[in-house]
Amino acid sequence: MTLTRRRSTTSVRHRPALWMWLLVAIGALALVSVASVALGAREVGLRTVVQAFLDPTPAADVTVIREMRLPRTLLGIAVGAALALGGALLQGVARNPLADTGVMGINSGAAAAVAISVLAIGYSPAGTQVWYAFAGAAVATVFVYSVASVGREGATPVKLALAGAAVTALCASVTSAIVLSDPDALDQLRMWQVGSLGGRNFSVFNQLVPYFLAGTVAALFTGRALNMLSLGDDLARSFGLRVPSTRALVFTIVTVLCGAATAACGPIVFVGLMIPHLARVITGPDYRWILAFSLVLGPILLLICDILGRVVAPSGEIPVGVVVGIIGAPVFVALVRYRQVVKV
Amino acid sequence: MAGILLAVSLLAACGTDGGSEGGGDGWSYVSGDGERYTAEEVPTSIIAHAYAAKVLMEFGITPVGSYADAPITEDVGLQGVDFGGIEILGEEWGVIDVEKAAELEPDLIVGDWWPAEDAYSGLEAGVEDESRRIGELAPVVGASQGDSIVDLIEGYASLAESLGADTEVIDEQRSEFEAAVEEFEAATAAKPGLTALAVSPYDADYYVAVPQYAPELLDFQSWGLAVIDPDSPDEDFPYWETVSMENADKYQPDVLLFDDRNYPGNMDSLDAQPIADEIAAYVAGAHTTWPAYWLHTYPDYTEQLERLTAFILEADENIGTE
Repeated sequence: MTLTRRRSTTSVRHRPALWMWLLVAIGALALVSVASVALGAREVGLRTVVQAFLDPTPAADVTVIREMRLPRTLLGIAVGAALALGGALLQGVARNPLADTGVMGINSGAAAAVAISVLAIGYSPAGTQVWYAFAGAAVATVFVYSVASVGREGATPVKLALAGAAVTALCASVTSAIVLSDPDALDQLRMWQVGSLGGRNFSVFNQLVPYFLAGTVAALFTGRALNMLSLGDDLARSFGLRVPSTRALVFTIVTVLCGAATAACGPIVFVGLMIPHLARVITGPDYRWILAFSLVLGPILLLICDILGRVVAPSGEIPVGVVVGIIGAPVFVALVRYRQVVKV
Repeated sequence: MAGILLAVSLLAACGTDGGSEGGGDGWSYVSGDGERYTAEEVPTSIIAHAYAAKVLMEFGITPVGSYADAPITEDVGLQGVDFGGIEILGEEWGVIDVEKAAELEPDLIVGDWWPAEDAYSGLEAGVEDESRRIGELAPVVGASQGDSIVDLIEGYASLAESLGADTEVIDEQRSEFEAAVEEFEAATAAKPGLTALAVSPYDADYYVAVPQYAPELLDFQSWGLAVIDPDSPDEDFPYWETVSMENADKYQPDVLLFDDRNYPGNMDSLDAQPIADEIAAYVAGAHTTWPAYWLHTYPDYTEQLERLTAFILEADENIGTE
């Protein structure tokens, strides 16, 4: 019997246990997805829901289930996954446990672009608005990264945080200026800025699904690189990792994922911030597992909040951005207090 | 109905009887909130809400200042109105430049009385605190957005008269209006089963108007058009019932009436939703606009009634199931 056989460190989890937890999470996601299709402002029996997929006869209930709740659920899964993955990537590359799309300028860039589009062109339908938001998010992220990269050390976490804060402030000012002077822009932005899955159907989903898919697949492959980066730039470089180009690549993936998510539903905060930490509680510091769990936990959170928003309000719906904030804050506080998780 | 119109015409024809007194010995007016307002002298420096300004200008009274709910050039209810020479104090609901208003030294503020909110235009609950101070500059009066637009218009005619205007012009406007009402009533009588629903889809919600708080819809109901009363108006803002888009097929009228203030944007919002295919009236193209909360003059009302009468004559009363 060799003495070196058994190693026990508190941060390495046994792989079979993690696979099991991942399956449990996937099962939970399936359950929540079914709930998302079955529940809502309109009361539809479970039998009708099942029949809508197996043997659909044209009826109002079937339209609501197949063409309103189904795309909404799919979009919720895509956006939840994109935001959670994006948050994990950002936290890894920025080595900042508070990294989130809000901090890096993505949300404010998208909002500014939407405001400018209303000022310049006027009202545009959701299908076109999506592209403006995407462009705004992309421009803001590129700007943040470029500003942070100035100098010999490149985009260090501190410089990224500062650049992100500066760009967020700039975009927020531009948005405020436009919104205060143009009532139409205020009207459009007011609804968009809360972050909502309501009213989005297949047209929005279909337009953005290529970006979600590409971004998710690419993100899942960055696990190893993020593990190396988390050891520090010098150590990562000694492993043969090309730090600047890796960071740039990760940032691009974040832009695609979070830009698409913000374009689809408006800015939703907290998901990108909280889910990676939640995943880390289960998985430990290995980014490959953190990404896998973020991919599943993000949609679970978003769908649960969306369902609550649909059934709790006596009339109309509460936007998912609001519910995530209400639920997310205490959960995050509990997480921080009872676990030593704020170590990236 | 004819009796009410007759009574109203007699009232106006008699002039100083009833709600207002003008002339050399002070000023008095029974406003929409039921109170009598008096002053030692007839007010001359008037600030009016844009729609009230429009109706006062019909009688030759030009306010010194006005505040609107939306950019004046885009407002459905202010098309063709010349605000030249009038100080514009705001073009957004709830935002009034009170400092500029104070510089005009007004002695009367005029705006609609809204019974549901227990307030005059410009002083409602959602108005900014700073803007609401306009109520401190001078007494606020106006006709009531109560049970009928006819009462509203006659109320403003009364006010104009108390301020010294000659309201003769209203007599001819009134007779044209009454003729239009007769045509409208004939059209609705020919289609007794016709039901209508007044809506304003906005973003991801479907808002159904509550006729009880929309005087023009109450008028339509009294003239034979069955405008549907939604069964659960929102508690805190009873002008509408908020219906989720998932339930937008809750009411199935024969015709849809879209709020004309944000048309066709609101129709496009509905069109983008799959549930639109489940609303029979929408699928059949049986929809038009309704003049929402902005009618203040007989010529406007006559024009709208003539348009709606033509629409009703073409309508099919068998589309919906209400």
